[in-house]
Amino acid sequence: MSALLELQDITVKGRSQPRLDGVSLQVSAGERIALLGPSGAGKSTLLAVANGLLTPQQGRMFWQGETRARSGRARRRQQARIGTLWQDLRLIEELTVQQNLNAARLAVWGWPRALLNLLMPLETVACKTILQRLDLDPALLNQPVSALSGGQRQRVALARLLRQDAQLLLADEPLASLDPRLADELLTLLLQLASPPRALLLSLHRPDLLSGFDRVLGLKSGRLVFDKPRASLEPGQLEELYAGSPGA
Amino acid sequence: MRPAAPLWVLLPCLVVLPVLALLPGISHGGGWELVGQFAAAALRPSLDPIVLGSVLGGLAVTVGMALLGWAGSLVLGLVLGIASSRVVWRTCYGSAAPASWIRRLLAIPRSIHELLWGLLLLQVIGLQPVVAVVAIAIPFGALVARVVSDLLDAMPTASLDALRCSGSNSPAALFTALGPPLLPQVVSYSGYRLECALRSATLLGVFGLGGLGTELRLTLQSLAFHELWSGMWALLAVMLLLEALMGWLRRRWAMPARLGLSQRGVGSQGQEMVAVAMTLLPVLVLVAWRLEVHPASLLQWQGMPPLGAADWGAVGALPWPRLIGNTLMLTLVAASLAVGLAPLLLLLVQPWPAACALLRGVWALGRLWPPPLTALLLLFVLQPGVLTGALALGFHNLGILGRLLLEASETSGDNQDQALLTAGVGPRLAMLYGRFSHLAQPYLAYGAYRADVILRESVVVGLVGATGLGSQLLEALSSFANDQLIALVLAYALLTLLGEDLSDRARQWLLETTHGDGHPQEAGGTWR
Repeated sequence: MSALLELQDITVKGRSQPRLDGVSLQVSAGERIALLGPSGAGKSTLLAVANGLLTPQQGRMFWQGETRARSGRARRRQQARIGTLWQDLRLIEELTVQQNLNAARLAVWGWPRALLNLLMPLETVACKTILQRLDLDPALLNQPVSALSGGQRQRVALARLLRQDAQLLLADEPLASLDPRLADELLTLLLQLASPPRALLLSLHRPDLLSGFDRVLGLKSGRLVFDKPRASLEPGQLEELYAGSPGA
Repeated sequence: MRPAAPLWVLLPCLVVLPVLALLPGISHGGGWELVGQFAAAALRPSLDPIVLGSVLGGLAVTVGMALLGWAGSLVLGLVLGIASSRVVWRTCYGSAAPASWIRRLLAIPRSIHELLWGLLLLQVIGLQPVVAVVAIAIPFGALVARVVSDLLDAMPTASLDALRCSGSNSPAALFTALGPPLLPQVVSYSGYRLECALRSATLLGVFGLGGLGTELRLTLQSLAFHELWSGMWALLAVMLLLEALMGWLRRRWAMPARLGLSQRGVGSQGQEMVAVAMTLLPVLVLVAWRLEVHPASLLQWQGMPPLGAADWGAVGALPWPRLIGNTLMLTLVAASLAVGLAPLLLLLVQPWPAACALLRGVWALGRLWPPPLTALLLLFVLQPGVLTGALALGFHNLGILGRLLLEASETSGDNQDQALLTAGVGPRLAMLYGRFSHLAQPYLAYGAYRADVILRESVVVGLVGATGLGSQLLEALSSFANDQLIALVLAYALLTLLGEDLSDRARQWLLETTHGDGHPQEAGGTWR
């Protein structure tokens, strides 16, 4: 498997101590990776570095073997292949489901199509296919996002990732504020979507939900304390990871 | 096919196309050299001590007039606002009917622009320092009154009812239940009015009522551009300082944001606010003494020239359809330019921080540069008319709307556009989709209010000979044709009242469309 994303010795400085301290990792196509760690361990920071929201003070990043561009078209082209499922979903409430899905194509569309998307339905067939794949009623396409239920919103956010045609799916504690049924549903869907050529890097708080993942990363105080296949993870390592944290 | 929210904010800028098409037809090209000299002088303002002394003296007078007019308007506005509040009358008297009547009466002083008040008072009591102060205080007071009464009537009355049920007398119950939540909102709004008062005091000066505005007009007319820019930069510094101070106080006292996109908590630092108000009192007395503003001079009317018999036939023969049509056209073009260009320019400069900073600077200049001076400057290269007036008014209001949009886009949270940026979307499209989606309706609601203000302001470019009712008014004023003057002021008042009603309806519709809960946020509701 070739590496989609590679981080080498990434450091992000914080006020008193580094938020990330020399983290290195590789994510390859088809991998489903869980990122574990207590609150404040640096999980969100790591995902923010991975999706380009944060620029590290130190370290090197590669996307499909190319150095991660810092600005311009090359950066946008690389960013377009990285999709993020945000905890607050970040859907645009005032727009319809279809306009939200098509917003995921703005990185490759020019201005005329971007403006036309705000005026009339575009690429309806592609949008419908994605909704059906996620068991959503295609009639929702014309609905404003503000009219959807919580579960529908989760799925529309996933549909937007599919519409983006992202190869690397990042998710920052997407299950944190969901009830158990919705959390199970969302996790199952995410794991299903993360089949080659896609990969998934997901941060979560609950070690009991690891069964669908291939690999587990443990992050503590900004340092990667373990990176191993799920099958070889020992219970003692998880206890050690959470030792000393408020919830432990 | 219904455009989505982000497109709405861009639609008004389509007016640029006909404006660009018409511009060559009205340009006379003779004054480009002068305009070049004017622009070049911006970088080399005069530093002559005599000029600087004159600028600082004028600035002090303008700031003083603004402060006094503003303070007067707050006192008037608070008293009249309470007097025109339905909840106050219902609590004290059992019926809200008197409140409605007082509101209707207050619409008249509100509908007449402060410049018109200034010129009318000038005719009656002559050139006295008190004229500018009262000219600001009357319409601003009526505006504050409406805002105060709107705020009072929109407040939840549960705590008021509870106090009344427990036997409190009406005034005490009103003061206890509604006073604390009202205070931070009034303070926030009054800060905004102080900025407006400074702009108005400058404008009144342009028309000869003293202060820096007079200096600016004289230097422009004598083509002393270096001296003109000395005044402009000084005024800009004061304006930006005032805006920064107001922004700081707004944040410190957790007061509502200007475009009302987020309802922050009621400020808890009431004692500090009262302390600041108490400190202002001696300052105001000192300023009044230095500027020789004597309220008693309001009663000393000057001798009027003999008035001829009213000729209502001649009044009726005025070209009313053309005058009113031009005024409305001027308003529409200026409002569309201001409302539409602010988001478009913000989008265009997005990728470049330096261009964004430059835009902020140009907007700040637009805000404080009095529209009649812009009109005079434009007359170097354009013929007088609707378009010239609209460009002058549009530039001024673009500065105001641009700043509000910028302020709102910076405080509204960047979650959606961050999400788009991380997905590889360019900064312009990320802003269009991510920010303008939820800014569109409150912004347009404010734009609707602004159109109403522009209609009222159209008199100020009319008065420099541009077009519409304003230019006719100037003729009536200078020829002492009081019959025409009365008819024109009434026509203006009627037009602005109709405009206010129309913009209220548009704003209500826009805000209800946004929130759908029948509780419009304060954006268009109270920011007047």
